[in-house]
Amino acid sequence: MSKSQYFPKKVYVEKRSLDFPLTKRILKNVGPVPREIIDDPQEVIEDIKASKDVMGAGKKYLLITRQRGEFVKPCPCTPRYLGCNYFIINIDLNCPLDCTYCILQHYLTNPLITVHVNREDLWRQLDILLHRKRHRTVRIGTGELGDSLALDHLTENSIDLVSYFRKKRNVIFELKTKTVNIKNILRIEPAPNVVVAWSLNSLRIAKEEEKGAPSVEERIEAARRVSERGFRTGFHFDPIIHHPDWEEGYEEVIKILLKTVDSARIAWISLGSFRFPASLKAIIEERFPKTKIIYDEFIKGKDGKLRYFKPFRLELYKKIVGFIREWGGKEIPLYFCMESEGIWREAMGWIPKGEENLEAYLSSPLG
Amino acid sequence: MKKKNLPLKEIFLEDERFRISYYFSLEKLILSLQEVGLLNPPLVALRDKRFILVSGWKRVLACIKLGLSSLPVFVIEEKAELKTFLAAFYENLATREFSLLEKAEILSRLKRFGEDEKKIVQHYLPLLDIPSTLSNLESYLAFSQLESEVKRIIHQKNMSFSSVKIFSGFTPQERKSLLPLLLPSGQNKMKEILEDLKEISRRNDIPVKKILSSKETLDIMGSEKLSPLQKTDKMRLILMKKRDPALSSRKESFDSLLKKLRLPKNIMVKPSPFFEEENFLVNFSFGNHKELKTILVKLQELAAKQEFAGIFKFK
Repeated sequence: MSKSQYFPKKVYVEKRSLDFPLTKRILKNVGPVPREIIDDPQEVIEDIKASKDVMGAGKKYLLITRQRGEFVKPCPCTPRYLGCNYFIINIDLNCPLDCTYCILQHYLTNPLITVHVNREDLWRQLDILLHRKRHRTVRIGTGELGDSLALDHLTENSIDLVSYFRKKRNVIFELKTKTVNIKNILRIEPAPNVVVAWSLNSLRIAKEEEKGAPSVEERIEAARRVSERGFRTGFHFDPIIHHPDWEEGYEEVIKILLKTVDSARIAWISLGSFRFPASLKAIIEERFPKTKIIYDEFIKGKDGKLRYFKPFRLELYKKIVGFIREWGGKEIPLYFCMESEGIWREAMGWIPKGEENLEAYLSSPLG
Repeated sequence: MKKKNLPLKEIFLEDERFRISYYFSLEKLILSLQEVGLLNPPLVALRDKRFILVSGWKRVLACIKLGLSSLPVFVIEEKAELKTFLAAFYENLATREFSLLEKAEILSRLKRFGEDEKKIVQHYLPLLDIPSTLSNLESYLAFSQLESEVKRIIHQKNMSFSSVKIFSGFTPQERKSLLPLLLPSGQNKMKEILEDLKEISRRNDIPVKKILSSKETLDIMGSEKLSPLQKTDKMRLILMKKRDPALSSRKESFDSLLKKLRLPKNIMVKPSPFFEEENFLVNFSFGNHKELKTILVKLQELAAKQEFAGIFKFK
């Protein structure tokens, strides 16, 4: 996968999805790429599954289909750790980037890059959710089962979504990406309740473990342009990975970030150390035989996932929080993704009183 | 397919091209042959003017053991190797479960006899209850290439797919030196040892053979005082310490603090699993009211001890 924009080797269009406006838009934007109309995506999926590297092979193809289930779901936060009451929108599934640690390798049964085009159903479901939660400020985003902007030059999702959410009062919408695919974002009017967020890592981890993703410096530069355009930005140090010289590595990125992007326009920074279901390990070993990140000292956490031994996590978090505060991010709201109260108290100095308290902290008056 | 009575000496057993089963016991089959005779004739095929066995190795070997001179067989007229092998495969598929190594042999034969790789993945792997991915096929093909000594242990210990997969990733020399360690272990310990070895080796860029030839390993394995099981357990501990040094050291410090506290035998203080939570667990047992009172007094005394506060450093 090159670091430029993603174009599939072939587009498969499910017959019943052919007439949706989004299908026509994607087929126009994708240009002279071979396309095939199919009755049943399962046949294509089974074919791809005969490849040696199923996930890698699936990323080369784009499937246009309909979402038959729910577009909007509560974020499947991990049981017995503090969650942040986030909702996810599953428009696109899978991602053209190929990060070593990606949970989608374990989670997705369909390896193709998949776009769901029945947009009217999405708007209807969002209307219902926002009405039901009208007394709260809902945080919602598209970057859980795919990168929010990796396909944006094909789908123009960002334009549709920002235009929908800017009219809503009780919601903060987040686009989460590792790409620099910001052409559409720069074309649209910023909305105060829209946050464009980047996943960041140390330069070394980004280079060695985030195959196909732009460099961290490029991501931060894209964030600067989006911030200067008037959008609020967010950043996710997730997964934080314990690696040789990690302290210098994370401090370096934080320094670059806070020198480049206006911290007053940063909505939040989240921190989450590397954690994964045990069954992902075999997949990573198979697909990325050179990586060492899965051989660190992990324990089985309260949720059954493997995570760093607690003293390591605390050390990672304390340092990184310290770097953010030291290099100009004193006022930026920070939160942990899927961590225990003990970690919050030790590393952050306070403990949210439940998920709604954390939600309120992160939804505090928009800048 | 023709049925005929064939003298046993006319079956050329050295030709194992269709053989998929190697490790089995003949006792029950011999008993059955003695009681009711051979009900299901083996399959043979004529190759280079000699009869070779396609299916029914166990039956033929049992007949030999019983000293029979001939037995009824079905002669397959098919000349194509793949089709001939499929006759044996489907005959077995319908009647029994295959072991991990038998599956490996079946897949290697299918490949060798020219079956299309995609068809093996999509059609045959599910028939063998293996998830249909090329990577699984490759793993099983690698298993079929293992040394027969190693295969025997895999069969004997009923090793799991994941353990065999790790094992097959080691060199033949490494596998050989690991056999004495694995033999006394159950499935879980075996998996732990193999996983730890692999992960220490990959993380620290040290070949497995180097870990296995370290002084402490050689001392343990060469000890005359230790039983095979004790050697395995000692090695497991060493590997655990190498794999997870911080956790192991924390466990040791906690245990050493408890020793200093000299708890009565019927009171146990435990940290949360992996020291992940902030709570500790106290277990005690008692048989009557008086014992309960004594324990409660002991616990009060314990809580008042200055050293006891040390356990809260392990939060």
